[in-house]
Amino acid sequence: MGKDVFEITVNILKMFVIFLMMVQAVPILVWLERRGSAFIQNRLGPNRVGPLGLLQLAADAVKFLFKEEFVPRQGVRFMYFFAPIMAMIPGALSFASLPLSVPIKIEPFQMLGQMWGPYTFAFQGYDLGIGIVFVLGISSLGVYSLLMAGWGSSNKYSLMGAVRASAQAISYELALSLSLVGILIVYGTFSFNEIVAAQTGPLTFRAFGAEHVISWLPNWGVFYQPLGALLFFSATFAEANRLPFDLPEAEGELVAGFHTEYAGFKLLMFFIGEYGHMMVASALLATFYLGGYNIPGVMPDDVLAFWQSAVGGNLASILTAVTFHLSLLLRIAILLWIFIQVRWTLPRFRYDQLMNLGWKSMLPWALFNVCVTALWVWFGHK
Amino acid sequence: MTNSGALLPVIILAALVLVFGVIIVFGTGLLGPKNTSKDPASQKVKNMPYECGLPGTEMADTKISIKFYLTAILFILFDIEIIFMYPWAIKFLDSIQDGTGGYMLGVMGVFVLLFVVGLIWEVKSKALDWN
Amino acid sequence: MSLSLNDILFYFLAGVAVLSALGVILQSNPIYCALSLALTMVSVAGLFASLSAWFVAGVQLIVYAGAVLVLFVMVLMLFDTKAEKRAFSKGIVSGFFKIASAAMIFAIAGGAASMSGDARFSKLTGIASATQSTKDLADLLFKKYLFSFEAMGALLLFIAIGAVALSRIQGGTHAD
Repeated sequence: MGKDVFEITVNILKMFVIFLMMVQAVPILVWLERRGSAFIQNRLGPNRVGPLGLLQLAADAVKFLFKEEFVPRQGVRFMYFFAPIMAMIPGALSFASLPLSVPIKIEPFQMLGQMWGPYTFAFQGYDLGIGIVFVLGISSLGVYSLLMAGWGSSNKYSLMGAVRASAQAISYELALSLSLVGILIVYGTFSFNEIVAAQTGPLTFRAFGAEHVISWLPNWGVFYQPLGALLFFSATFAEANRLPFDLPEAEGELVAGFHTEYAGFKLLMFFIGEYGHMMVASALLATFYLGGYNIPGVMPDDVLAFWQSAVGGNLASILTAVTFHLSLLLRIAILLWIFIQVRWTLPRFRYDQLMNLGWKSMLPWALFNVCVTALWVWFGHK
Repeated sequence: MTNSGALLPVIILAALVLVFGVIIVFGTGLLGPKNTSKDPASQKVKNMPYECGLPGTEMADTKISIKFYLTAILFILFDIEIIFMYPWAIKFLDSIQDGTGGYMLGVMGVFVLLFVVGLIWEVKSKALDWN
Repeated sequence: MSLSLNDILFYFLAGVAVLSALGVILQSNPIYCALSLALTMVSVAGLFASLSAWFVAGVQLIVYAGAVLVLFVMVLMLFDTKAEKRAFSKGIVSGFFKIASAAMIFAIAGGAASMSGDARFSKLTGIASATQSTKDLADLLFKKYLFSFEAMGALLLFIAIGAVALSRIQGGTHAD
C-alpha cells in the first residue's frame, strides 16, 4: 500500500508542477514580450523594477490582485466569471499530456524503515496513448471561453470580437488538424512517446523501395513533412489569436475584442490561456517536427551512461531526464521567441484576407500535403 | 474491464484548474478596493459596459453577418471529413505492409476527391468570400 | 459493497452527463441549454474514454463539443432570443414538451438500467492501446463498412452544397 500512496502522491504533485510551470511561464513571457518588443522598436521597455526589470512581473501580479472589480451591469454574471476560468483549461490539459522528457527510473531504495520502489515516473502529466486527438479535442473547447466572454460582457465590441475570434479559431482548426495527417501517415501512431522515439538517430528514410541514411541530419519529422510543419506553425498563430492573426483584438475597430470588459487578474487569466496555447503549440511543433526531447546525434542511452559514470544510481536517471527536458525547453524557448518576434514584426491581416488564407490557401495546401505524403509513403514502402 | 485509471489524472488536473480559477476570480473581487459611493448614478455609470463616450446601447441592435454561421456549418462538415482521415492515416503504413496499401489508397482517394469537389464548389460559389 | 476507482469515476461522469442533460431541458435560457449540452457531450466523451474507446472519445470532443455545439452557441448568442425564451418557459405546448422529453430521458435511463445485466452485452476482454484500437476501427470502417463510409463522404458534400444554397435565399424572418 505504501507503494501506491507514494506513486499517487508523485503523480498528483506532477499535475501541480505542470500547471504551475504553465502559470509561472506567463509572467516571464510577458516580460520577454515587453522587453523584446521594446528592443525591436528601439526602446528600453520595463527596466526600473529589479535587475533588468525582472521584478516588474511581481509588481504586475500584485497590481492585478488588488484591482477594483468592474462587472458590466447588464452582463450575464455566470458567464462573465466563468469565461476566464474556462480559458485556462485547454492549455493546462493539453500541456500535461505532452511528454517533456525521458521517464525517470527509480531503483528500489530504503526510506523510513521500508523498501520503496522500483518506480518509473513518466516525465509527463499523463499518457493517454491517444496523443494528438486528445489535444485537438481539448483545444477545440477553447472557443467556449471566447463566446462566453463575449456574451457575458453584454458589450457589442466584446461580442463582435468573440464571434470573429471563434470563426477564426474554427477555420484554422481545419488547416491545423489536416496538416497533422501527414505526420500520422509517416509514423502510423497517435502516441507522442512513439513519435518522439521514432525520431532518434540519423535521418533514415525509404524511397523507391530502398533505405537511405543521411548521417549528418537528425531523424526529425520536419524533414519528412516540411510543408506540414509550416502549415501547422502558421495555423497555431491563428489558434492562439496572435498577430498577424489578432483580428479579435483589433484595437482600431473593436477596442480590445472579447476581453474589453475584463480587468485585473481575470484579464491575466485570458493571457495565461493565450500563452498556454503558445507553449502547447511550441511543444507540439517540437514533438512532431523537431525531434521532441531528443538531442541530435546523441542516443538516450549514451546520456544515461554518461551520467551513470559521473554520479551513478538514481541520480543518474533523474539527471538524464533533466538533460533531455532542457533540450526540449530550449526548442520551446526558441519557438516562443519566434512567436514574439513575429508579433512585433508583421502587420495585421484584414478579415477577408485572414479567412481567404485559412480556407482557400492553407486548407488546399494541407490537403495537397496529405496526398503527396500518402503517395510518397506508398512508393517508398511498396 | 474499464480503463478509468488513465482518465483520473485528466479529471484531477481539470478540477485543479477550476479550483485555482474560482479562487482567483472571486478572491481578487474581495481584495480590490470597492466603489463606496452612495450616489447611485456613480455606481451605474461605473458598471456600464464600455463604449466610446456615447451611452451604451448594449447588444440591442447587434447584427452579425450570416457568413459566420455559414463558416461554422462548413467547419463542421470539413472537420468530420478530416477526422475520418485520422484512423486511415495511422492504418496506412500497416496496410502497405500487409499488401492492402493500394486498396486503402483508393478508398481514401475517392473520399479526398469528394472533399476536393466540396472545397472547389465552396470557393466557386463565393461562400467563402468576405467583403 | 465497496466502490472501486472505476465505479466512482463512472458514477461521477454519468452523474454529470445526466444532470447536465436535465439542465438542457429544465433551463429556460437557450444559451445555458446549449452550454449544458456541451457539458453533456464532454462527460459522454469521458465515458467513452473510460471504456478505452479513446478515438471515439476524441471524436466526440472534436466534433460534438468542439464543432456542433459551438455552432449552436454562436447562433443562439447572436439572435435576440427574448421571444423564444418566453415561448419556451411558459405555455401548455412547451410544458408538454418538457414533460415528454423528461419522460423520454427516464425511459432511456430505465431501459439502460434494466438491460445492464443482459448477457448479450459481454464485457470487454483485453484492451489494446489507443492506437491499436483505432487501427481496428479503421479496418472495420474501410473494409466492412466501406460503402457507408463513402456514402457519408458524398452526403457531407451534399450538405455543404445545401447549406450554401440555403444561406443565399433572400427573405424570411431575419432578412435585411
